[in-house]
Amino acid sequence: MLSVLILLPLIGAALIGFLPGGIAVKTSRTLALVFAGLNFAWTIVLACQFNLGQITQQFAEFIPWIDELGLNYHLGIDGLSLPLLILNGLLTCIALYSTDEAIQRPRFYYSLILLLAVGVNGAFLAQDLLLFFLFYELELIPLYLLIAIWGGEKRGYAATKFLIYTAVSGILILASFLGMIWLSGAPSFALATLDTSVLPLTTQIILLGGILIGFGIKIPLVPFHTWLPDAHVEASTPISILLAGVLLKLGTYGLLRFGMNLLPLAWENLAPLLATWAVISVLYGSCCAIAQKDMKKMVAYSSIGHMGYILLAAAASTPLSILGATMQMVSHGLISALLFLLVGVVYKKTGSRNLDVLQGLLNPERGMPLIGSLMMLGVMASAGIPGMVGFISEFIVFRSSFPIYPIQTLVCMLGTGLTAVYFLILMNSAFFGRLSNQVLDLPRVYWSDRMPAVILAILIVIFGIQPNWLLRWSETTTTAMVKTTNVVGLNAESRRG
Amino acid sequence: MLDTKNPNPTLIDRLESGEALLPNTPENVMEVVGILKSYAVVLDGYSRNLNFFAETQFLLVFPFFKYFDGEITFSKLLRHWWHDRLNFEYAEYCMRGMLWHGGGGLDEYLDSPEFMANSQAVIAAKFKHNLFASATNKLFPNFLPEQLRVCAYYSGLGQFWRVMADMFFSLSDRYEQGEVTSIAGVVDHIKNELVAAANDPITYAVKIDQQVYDIIPASAGLTFLADTALPYVEAVFFRGTPFHGTVTYNAKEYQIPADQAQFEYGALFADPLPIGGAGIPPTLLMQDMRHYLPDYLHEIYRRSRRGEDDLRVQICISFQKSMFCVTTATIFGLMPYPLDTTKADERKANRRHIQDWLDRLNNSRLAEVNS
Repeated sequence: MLSVLILLPLIGAALIGFLPGGIAVKTSRTLALVFAGLNFAWTIVLACQFNLGQITQQFAEFIPWIDELGLNYHLGIDGLSLPLLILNGLLTCIALYSTDEAIQRPRFYYSLILLLAVGVNGAFLAQDLLLFFLFYELELIPLYLLIAIWGGEKRGYAATKFLIYTAVSGILILASFLGMIWLSGAPSFALATLDTSVLPLTTQIILLGGILIGFGIKIPLVPFHTWLPDAHVEASTPISILLAGVLLKLGTYGLLRFGMNLLPLAWENLAPLLATWAVISVLYGSCCAIAQKDMKKMVAYSSIGHMGYILLAAAASTPLSILGATMQMVSHGLISALLFLLVGVVYKKTGSRNLDVLQGLLNPERGMPLIGSLMMLGVMASAGIPGMVGFISEFIVFRSSFPIYPIQTLVCMLGTGLTAVYFLILMNSAFFGRLSNQVLDLPRVYWSDRMPAVILAILIVIFGIQPNWLLRWSETTTTAMVKTTNVVGLNAESRRG
Repeated sequence: MLDTKNPNPTLIDRLESGEALLPNTPENVMEVVGILKSYAVVLDGYSRNLNFFAETQFLLVFPFFKYFDGEITFSKLLRHWWHDRLNFEYAEYCMRGMLWHGGGGLDEYLDSPEFMANSQAVIAAKFKHNLFASATNKLFPNFLPEQLRVCAYYSGLGQFWRVMADMFFSLSDRYEQGEVTSIAGVVDHIKNELVAAANDPITYAVKIDQQVYDIIPASAGLTFLADTALPYVEAVFFRGTPFHGTVTYNAKEYQIPADQAQFEYGALFADPLPIGGAGIPPTLLMQDMRHYLPDYLHEIYRRSRRGEDDLRVQICISFQKSMFCVTTATIFGLMPYPLDTTKADERKANRRHIQDWLDRLNNSRLAEVNS
């Protein structure tokens, strides 16, 4: 069942890629949407059949591959990967739908997006370290090309920077994986059979260091973040949606799955440092966001800040905090996708993202009032206003982290206040006041521009009002992850008890 | 050349040669005539309602059905609640604008002893059997006469707009018959009709128990042009118009001049773009006019970049253009000497007259409609 999530987009990518050259642009777009839609629908089917009470991996598929290397085709899902798979399915559809219909080299473009979906799905499904790494690396190639070919003016620079950073990330992750396997004497790269408890603490810390930096680049955490604003600014809107919405989550997913889960002893030792690192990331990201004049860069820095909350929750390592981290991944995926989508619409219609140029876009007659209203909803969700999914996830993160790291949590909460500051600056500059003369004659905003944002906004509100519809998928898994790894949170809780 | 503060002295030459403030282009002609046609429909409704109020709703404490024109049915009530009606509030705001800014013979007459005597007669007849109202009138002798002053403005504006509505209907008919083909033709039509109606009397009487009571008798000598048209232009075109949401002014920041004559917030100055948050309509008038636009005007608007998404802003822009035509007609109508005079002193006086008007339009939207 799970291979469908890899094969469907793969077949779609191949089919579109090998379409005859003269075929209509619309055909490749329609095909891509059909395959992405099927992929998304399949994740929903899986969710419907998912056993909420089962701790172990579900729908597992195992095919021996290269015995000599210990590499097997082993897939499975649990409550950590399922929400992210659904998110990937949804955002791939939205990214494809939001793509300019007149895009250059459409067959190549749509193929790459579907290939990206293959890489991300594979990484979330992989139950084998090496298989994860292969999918993780596979995802880099289409993303690099999507930025380098369809990006903005400095796309070459941004794409290369992205590639260098993530290549280093890949090397560090691979080195840590190999270290874990070889040093622990595991017979294969299978996650289930890996036991790192035999390793000395120092070795574990070194291995965890590699994983932390490797995935820290992907998340990204300060100071490994500098590739992200450049990549976002130069990437087209659909790519930014995927990048912020789901690709960054590979980093946090990896951190939880391979860092906290596989190296619990080292994790426990480094957790206070991680919490402090989270604080630095949150504050640095927020302060940088305040200083931005480019709307997209502001949202990009906001992402850096908000990903810090996940690290804080991961450092706390209680069942509730890991649930909060998972929730924050999905929440940030939806909210950042919405924000990038809306910034993209603004840029498409006005030709600018500069807060010094834009003004009064909320104008009910000549502006884009619905886009502005959705932007207001998005920034409120990002700032953790109750009634939206951002509030629930941040509340769980702070509530669960506070007993373990009170100071760090309080400072991170300050970051939520800073989110309100920079997004108020954005709203006030770009959307309120008289419509600026530079953008007085805006073209029409069509429902096709608004529809993806409306869908995301509805989800943000629905999950904000009824968070259990989201939490229920992950609760068993996150609780089990903490119990089996016996890390910081439980120790702290038992100490308090 | 006379001294002028006007940044565009060529406008003086243009007006002297008989051209209008608005450039003469086929699209401008179509826009102006089309918008005035829809304005005529709306003014017709407004004037009927204003006159209805003045004649039948005067001195009512709670005129609940003042927008019903005497026809109170359940279906009309439902339509009212559904807001399927003209925004008669706009007419009332204009009336209050005139009342506030005053000017002209109507304003003077309403402060005269003759008006007070007439109003006391009306009040006495109206509240003959109402002891409470009679006692209130004794205690606060200025209160009920002030209500009648307001009613007099209802009536004055109603009569003014009656003439204007018919004038714009006939303009549209003549345009459709090919008799009006230029902006100068539009201005001529308006000027001629204004001049023709200039001395029409403005009177106001009410009927109580089958007896007619004059509030503004013919003997007061109030006339259409001097006592309603010019105060209306002054109040609504120059000083302030109820264009809700178009611009907000902060009195504490001294954005509103203390001297009323320095007000520059009229229809000729209003920014057609709504300011502020979502959902604020540009004006009630634009909302009303959009229902009665002729097809050819819809066609022009549909050709714009946003189609009819910003219909009310486009209506506002067209409306301002048409108001500059009315202003041109007013300038020409009040010209001290004929435009084609050859006498130097008369030409000088005409030029001074044009210059005075243009000086007042320095900060108006004149530049925008000419761009």
